[in-house]
Amino acid sequence: MGFDFPKGRLRQRRHFLLGAGAALASLGLSTGLSSCGWTLANVRPPVTGSDPNQLFIYTWSGYIDEELLAAFERETGIRAIVDVFDANETMLAKLQAGAGGAYSVIYPSDYMVQKMVELDLLLELDKSLILGLEQLFPRFQDPVYDRGNRFSVPAAWGTTGLIYNSQALKQPVEDWQYLWDNQQALSKKITLINDVREVMGATLRKLGFSYNSTDPQQINQAYQHLVRLKPSIAAFTSDAWAPQMLAGDLLVSMCYSSDANQVIAENPALRYVVPNSGSSAYVDTIVIPKSAPNPQGAYAWINFLLQPQIATQVVKNLKFATPNQVAFEQLAPDIKQDQTLFPTPATLEKLEGITPVADEISAIFDDYWTRLTSA
Amino acid sequence: MPKKARKTKSKEPKLSKPPKLKERGQGNFFEALILLLPSGLWLFLLLVLPTLVIFQLSLVPDIKPGMVVDPSGIENYLRAFEGTFLWVILRSIFFALGTTFSCLILGFPIAYWIGYMLPRGWRNLCLLAFILPLWTSSLLRSYAWISILRPTGLLNSVLVYFDLPPIQILNSPIAVLIGMTYSYLPFMVLILYTAIEKLDSRVLEAAADLGAKPSVIFEKITIPQTSPGILAGCLLVFIGSLGDFVDPELLGGASSMTMARLIYNQFLGTTQNWGFGSALSMLLIIAVSIAIALLLKYGDRSATEA
Amino acid sequence: MIFKAFQKKAPSVSEVAEFDVELRGVSKSFRGETVVREVDLQIAPGEFFSILGPSGCGKTTTLRLIAGFEHASAGEVVIQGNSMSRVPAHQRPVNTVFQSYALFSHLNVAENVAFGLKLQNLKRQEIKERVEEALTLVKMIDFAKRLPQQLSGGQQQRVALARALVNRPAVLLLDEPLGALDLKLRKEMQLELSNIHQDLGMTFIMVTHDQEEALSLSNRIAVMQGGRIEQIGSPAEIYECPRTPFVADFIGDTNLFLGRSREHGNTIQVSTDEGLDLVIQPRYQLPSPMPEDVVVSIRPEKIKMSLQPQANQPNCFEGRLRNVMYKGTHAYYRVELLQGKMITVMYPKASNNLPSPTTPVYVLWHPADCLLVWEPLPTGKATPTEEEH
Repeated sequence: MGFDFPKGRLRQRRHFLLGAGAALASLGLSTGLSSCGWTLANVRPPVTGSDPNQLFIYTWSGYIDEELLAAFERETGIRAIVDVFDANETMLAKLQAGAGGAYSVIYPSDYMVQKMVELDLLLELDKSLILGLEQLFPRFQDPVYDRGNRFSVPAAWGTTGLIYNSQALKQPVEDWQYLWDNQQALSKKITLINDVREVMGATLRKLGFSYNSTDPQQINQAYQHLVRLKPSIAAFTSDAWAPQMLAGDLLVSMCYSSDANQVIAENPALRYVVPNSGSSAYVDTIVIPKSAPNPQGAYAWINFLLQPQIATQVVKNLKFATPNQVAFEQLAPDIKQDQTLFPTPATLEKLEGITPVADEISAIFDDYWTRLTSA
Repeated sequence: MPKKARKTKSKEPKLSKPPKLKERGQGNFFEALILLLPSGLWLFLLLVLPTLVIFQLSLVPDIKPGMVVDPSGIENYLRAFEGTFLWVILRSIFFALGTTFSCLILGFPIAYWIGYMLPRGWRNLCLLAFILPLWTSSLLRSYAWISILRPTGLLNSVLVYFDLPPIQILNSPIAVLIGMTYSYLPFMVLILYTAIEKLDSRVLEAAADLGAKPSVIFEKITIPQTSPGILAGCLLVFIGSLGDFVDPELLGGASSMTMARLIYNQFLGTTQNWGFGSALSMLLIIAVSIAIALLLKYGDRSATEA
Repeated sequence: MIFKAFQKKAPSVSEVAEFDVELRGVSKSFRGETVVREVDLQIAPGEFFSILGPSGCGKTTTLRLIAGFEHASAGEVVIQGNSMSRVPAHQRPVNTVFQSYALFSHLNVAENVAFGLKLQNLKRQEIKERVEEALTLVKMIDFAKRLPQQLSGGQQQRVALARALVNRPAVLLLDEPLGALDLKLRKEMQLELSNIHQDLGMTFIMVTHDQEEALSLSNRIAVMQGGRIEQIGSPAEIYECPRTPFVADFIGDTNLFLGRSREHGNTIQVSTDEGLDLVIQPRYQLPSPMPEDVVVSIRPEKIKMSLQPQANQPNCFEGRLRNVMYKGTHAYYRVELLQGKMITVMYPKASNNLPSPTTPVYVLWHPADCLLVWEPLPTGKATPTEEEH
C-alpha cells in the first residue's frame, strides 16, 4: 500500500499545491491518483497553444541536415527545430520526464514504437492525411512492430554491425567473435552501442542464440561474455565513436549502418560489416505523440519525406537506407549496390528485428546491463 | 586544550529583561514568519517536497515510468550495497577523495603564491586569470581534455615526438581524476586564497624568529592558521566531485561508472529503474548533507562566502 | 626578583665580542627607495638601547634587519661577533616582541610560549618549567590555557614578551612593544620592562616613536630620521645636547631660531631671521670654522618671564602674552615677541593675575642655556657622539 491519503484532504492539498504544478511536472510526476498511490511519469499534453509555423522534431543524430530543413521550410513555410537522442530509451525517458508536450515528431525504432503504443503515447495516424504510403517496399507496409503502420511511418532502416579501421587491423573483421579474440590488442579501442538490447543481442547471436532470446540462462551466458570483454571497452556510445574512429583513436566500433555510411564517406579506409553470426535490423519510424503540439505540421513533415525526390536526396546526403521503393528505384546504381546501405538478400537472412520482451525479461536485461556498465 | 579554554571564555553578565520584551518578541515572531514565508515556501516546494518524492520513489523496487508508486520496502537501498553497486559507491568516493587531495596539493601552492607572495596589486588579476576557465562550460573543458588525452591526442603526439611510448589515459580512471581536478581546482584555489590572504606575515615571521625553519613554519603555523579554509575547500571540492557527472561520463568511458552516472542511467539511460535511481540519489543527498553539515560546523565561513 | 634561568647565557663568542650587536654601514632599499642609509651602530651587552624616530624613519626596518626578516642591501649586521649576512632569521640568537604581538591564534598561551623551546628539542619537563617561569615573570601564569584572542591587549603583550624571553636570546628586539596599549597600561608595562631588563641583564633593542618611553627606559638612544641616525647618546645627552635641528625639535618641546652665527670671543652671536640678536655660550667644543647657518634651541623651561625690562641682559626680548595652556604640574605660556616670533615658556604653575594682552612682558634666558645646532655635514654619516656636556 502506498500513502493512503483521505481523498478530501488530498484534494485540498492539490488545490494548495496548484502553484507547484510546474515543479512536479518537471519531475515528470503527475497526480494520476489511484486509491493506493500515484502513477509515475504520465506524459502530459501540451499546456500552451502551439504555433502552426513551428515544428519540433526529436530524432537520432545524423537523420536531418540543414538542407532538408531549409527545403521543408521553403515548401511548407514551417520552421522545424531539431533535438537529437542517441538511444530509444533516452528518448522515452525524456518524454516521460516531462518533455511530452515538447515534440511533434519523434523517430523511435521498431520495438520502441510497440512500447510507446503500449504506453498509449502515440497518436493513431489519420491515413487520409498521408500521401505516398503505398510507395514503400512491401515488407515495410505491414511491419510486425506496428501492423498496418497504424501509428508509425517507416523513415529509414539499417543494420547493426561493426565498423573498423582496415588500415590498422591486419585481417578484416568478420564476426563479433573478433572482439573477444583480439581483446588485448584492441584494449580501449573498442566501443559498443549504448543500448542494452543491441549489445546483449549481438553477444547472444555470437553464442548462437537469438537476438531476442528470453532464456535467462542464455542471457546470463551473454552477460558473462560481456564481463570478460568489459576491460577492453573504451565506452558505451551510439554516436561519440565517430570522431574518435576518424581520428584513429578507435579500431572497432559497434554501430548502426546509417552512421557507418556517413563516417566511411569521410575516410574510405573504414569498413562496415554485418557480422557472420548475425545481427539486428532496425527500422526507424516517424510517429506523432498524442501530446504533440502542431500535429498538422507533423503530417506535413511525413508527407514531405515520403516524396521520392526528397527521399533520394536524403539517401545521397545523409547515407541511410530508405524504405521507399519508388525512391530506391530512382537512386544511382552505385548507391543501389552499396552493400553497407542495402545488404544482399543473403545478409538480410541473418538479421533479426528487436522485439519487445516481457517485463520480467526486460528487468533481467536491465539488471545485467546496469551491472555490466557499473563494473 | 583549546576547547576547554573556549568553554571558559566569557560568562556574559545576565541582563535583567525589560518587561516589554515578551510582547515585542511575539511581534517579531510573526514579522519574521511573514518575512520568511516566501523563501520558506520556495524551499518547501523546490527542495523539501521533491526530496520527499525521491524518498518515496526510493522505496519502490523496480519502478519505471507509467507504474503506480507503491512504496513497499528498502530493497533498493539493499541493492545499492551489493557487490557491483557498492563498488560504484566506493569508486565515487575514491574519485571525490582523489580529486580533493590533488586539488589541495596543487591548489595550495598556487593560492599561497597568489595570496601571499604576489604583490597586492597583482593578486586580483592573477586570481581572475586562474578562475577564468570557470567561465567556460564544464562540457567544453571535458572535451578539451578528451582532445589532449585521446590516443592520437596532444599528449601522445608530444610523447611520440620525444620517442616515448604513447600512453592510454582516456577512458580510464586517471582521465577522470585529471578532468575532475581541473574542474574543481579553481574552487579550491579561490577558497584557499581567501584563507591564505588573511595570513599575518608577522605571525610567520614570529615563528621564524623563534627558530622555526620554513618547513616547520609551514607545518606548525601556515597549515593550522589556514586550516578552516583548507577544510572548507576540501569539503566543497569533495561535495562537488562526488556528484560530478560530466567528467566521469566523458573522460571515464566504460571504465568509471560513478554514482552520478548510475543515477543518470536509472532515470534517462537505456535501462530504467527510477526506484533504484531514487535510492542512489537519497544516498548521495545524505552524503552531501553530512559534508555540508561538516562544512558549516568547521569550515571557514568567510572563505565560503567569498 | 631574579630569575636565574633568564640570566644572560654566556656563549663563548660573546665573551670575545665587544658588542652584542653591531651594524656596519647598513643600508636597505625597497624597489629603489632607500629606507635605511649607511647606519652604524654598536650595542654593548646588557644595554637597553632604543631606536627613536617618527614613523617612516627606518627604525622598524633597522630592527628587522637585525632580526633577519630583511636583508641589508649594503653593509653588515654582526651579532656577538658573527656576521649575520648569510644567517636566516630562524638561526639568529635574537628574539622579537612584535608591535602587533603576532601571537599564534591557534595555540593557547602556554603553547605559544613553548613554541621556541619545542623547536630546540628540549625535554618536556624542562619546557614545562621554563614556560611556567616565563609566564610567572610576566604575571600570566593564570592564563596559560587561554587562547590569545581571549586576552586583552596588555595581556597579549605580556605573552609576546614571555614567548620571546623564554628562549633566553642574546638580544631581545622590541618593535613598538607598548604602542597599542593605553596610557596607564603603557606606564605600567614600561616599569615592568625596565625591571625585567634589570633582572635579566639581557640586551634589549627597542624601536619606538614615543620619546618619553625611550628617554625613561633606555641606556642609550639612537634618533633616526629619513633612514639616517641623527644622533646616538644617553637620554640626557639627547635631551640636553641635541646635535641636529631635527633632534632638538623632536625630543621634548623647544623654541627654535634660524640664523647666522658670528664668533665673538668666548661667546657666539646669532642674528636670527626674525631680527633678534642672540648671545650663546656654547657648552661643547664647536667645529672650526663655525658653520654659518645654525639653529638655536631654547627649552621652554629655561626661559624666564618678567613684567620689567631687564636692562643690560643678553637674550631679553619684549613681547605680549597670547595664551596659557594649563598642564596641571606646570603651565605653558605663549608669548609673541615684538619681532613676530612666537615663544613658548614653561612655568611651574599658572599665575593668578595674568598680564593683559596689551601689557608688555619680557622673556629672558641665559646664554649657556642656548643650544647651538646645525645641519649635519653632507657626508651622510651621523655625527659621532662625544663624551662631554
